Amino acid sequence: MARTELDNVTKVFTEGDGTRIVAVDDLSIDIEDGEFLVLVGPSGCGKSTTLRMIAGLETITSGEIRFDGRVVNDIPAKDRDIAMVFQSYALYPHMTVRENMSFGLEESTDLSDDVIEESVEETAKMMGIGNLLDRKPGELSGGQQQRVALGRAIVREPEVFLMDEPLSNLDAKLRSEMRTELQRLQEQFETTTIYVTHDQTEAMTMGDRIAILDAGELQQVGTPIECYHQPANQFVAGFIGEPSMNFLSVSLENGRFVGDQFEYPISREFESDLGEAAGLTMGIRPEDISLVDTAGEQTLSMVVDVVEPMGDQNVVYLTFSAEDVGPAGSKDTVVATVDGMDSIETGRSVNVHIPEDAIQVFDSSGVAIRNRKLERSPAEMQF
Amino acid sequence: MSEQTDPATESEPLEPEASGESFRERFRLRTVALYTALAALVVFYLIPIQSGLVTSFKTSSAVRETAPFIPPLSADAFTLDKWQFAFDALSDGVINSLLFTIPSTILCAIFGSMAAYGLTLTNWRGQTFIFALFIAGIFIPYQAVIIPLSEFWNVWIDFESRLGLLWGLPLLERRHATILELIVTHTAYGIPIVTVLFRAQYKSMSQEMMEAAKLDGASLWRTYRKIILPLSVPMFAVVFIFQFTQIWNEFLFSLIIIQSVSDPAASVTLILSGLGQALEGVDFPLRMAGAFIAALPTLIVYVLFADKFAEGVRV
Repeated sequence: MARTELDNVTKVFTEGDGTRIVAVDDLSIDIEDGEFLVLVGPSGCGKSTTLRMIAGLETITSGEIRFDGRVVNDIPAKDRDIAMVFQSYALYPHMTVRENMSFGLEESTDLSDDVIEESVEETAKMMGIGNLLDRKPGELSGGQQQRVALGRAIVREPEVFLMDEPLSNLDAKLRSEMRTELQRLQEQFETTTIYVTHDQTEAMTMGDRIAILDAGELQQVGTPIECYHQPANQFVAGFIGEPSMNFLSVSLENGRFVGDQFEYPISREFESDLGEAAGLTMGIRPEDISLVDTAGEQTLSMVVDVVEPMGDQNVVYLTFSAEDVGPAGSKDTVVATVDGMDSIETGRSVNVHIPEDAIQVFDSSGVAIRNRKLERSPAEMQF
Repeated sequence: MSEQTDPATESEPLEPEASGESFRERFRLRTVALYTALAALVVFYLIPIQSGLVTSFKTSSAVRETAPFIPPLSADAFTLDKWQFAFDALSDGVINSLLFTIPSTILCAIFGSMAAYGLTLTNWRGQTFIFALFIAGIFIPYQAVIIPLSEFWNVWIDFESRLGLLWGLPLLERRHATILELIVTHTAYGIPIVTVLFRAQYKSMSQEMMEAAKLDGASLWRTYRKIILPLSVPMFAVVFIFQFTQIWNEFLFSLIIIQSVSDPAASVTLILSGLGQALEGVDFPLRMAGAFIAALPTLIVYVLFADKFAEGVRV
């Protein structure tokens, strides 16, 4: 178990023609001992490169990576005492499950065959693959292969677990099962875990903290609740949460937000938070929006474009005028999630209520200048 | 099934049996056509072999009097003498050929596989240049190296006198110096193409698996030994068959390095070239018997490695 620190870590790839690509840019994260940190971001954001630098599979262009204060930049992968689970599982196809799991212990420790055998069987039993030990990976289902890959990492008893999108090859049902199981395992072992994913649901549900990356740069590190309710910038706000946050470009005129097709009055208190900023973006989460019967001060008149019934909720796509309905409508749209029992007709005009407290405001560079008001601070919402 | 393949059923939904019948009918026709074609191919390939085989059992007069593919029908026309003669003439050559073919084949495969591993699954500066040299090695024509090769072995290396002490040991003879030269030559000449064959397979191996081995603490050599080598078994079978046939049938290097049919190190191909040639004409039965004896080892290799070979060439 190790505290892992990334200190101004930068990775630059130099192409054959001399062009330099900055994959990871000046990244600093402290990962506590026993913490489950999720690195999340769209593909190409540098999250896998970061993980591979921690593993020792990529060199570090500049900056330092430390395990418990010890700089590991120049320590080869095999001596870093880490175990990694790969997206493709990377099992050895010619070896049985037993051989796959014992290979690491055989290569990297002086343990006797009996001790290795014992810990492999124990781990396999715990992972529910005790009866598969003499099969080869080709004879296993995807879910079973996944368990073997995890078991192979666990049996090593590493200081740090590294996981590179380990669940992305599983079907949806198995993926959510494994998600729970991984969390349970991590709590049991209390091993520092760094988990890479592009899936914001995995990030939200699994991480003690999540680090959101975009274009090689760290956007925010925080608990899932912090990142959800108090995003540092527009990228984080749009990336975390499903369906995504709505963004509307507005300008501030006489105590009102004025967009292309709507106006929204704001309170004096709200206005004072914004200062002199121009070229604002207003963000609102779909679940904070409600459809109301009567028009009011802070309601917008909109038209229902598409309704996606999800059972427990309906996802409603709204536009500002009937002409914008349909795929050709390129104007502002707003997504709202409402109770699944409400019946909403496509094409109907509705009053859309946006509560002022739930509004996030971002400046022209995307930085959050006002987060939503919360009754409790996210720090109190720890689990 | 038949509903999907036969559009006629859609207009005649009341008679599904009829369409099922015609489907079965067509299926039978296709099968007949397939097997006819296969039988024709079998005949096409086997006729020359069959003719050769029956000829080898004929006396010289029977060869003159009967068609090549007719077996010797009377006791007068049948003889085993030619096989006996060919066997006596070739047996030393077969042993010599085996002595250099088997080691060269194995060495080619081992070195080629290692070279491909180093050139494909590891990362180092100058890799591309070294690989370009291997590629170039494939395209050096045999004819271009005739003189350098004989110069190299006779003047520069000359195992026969330099390793003189060895030839006094039990089981070793002077002719083994020539065999050793052939082993080295064939191994060196075979490595480039074998490397390319292995490289094609190694390129398709999962990079993540290599990284997993690295994180598991396996060294470069251990990764090769424990992971790459066991996964290359089918490709080894392909290489064994390919290189064995190549080296066994090779003639030019034998001619340059051994030089004479009467040399005690003469290979089977070298002896076969002179077998049955005489001023009075070609002794066809003897040549055929010799050809069969010379071809037998390659056939055995094919049979031994056929399963793994099929696995290795499967796409």
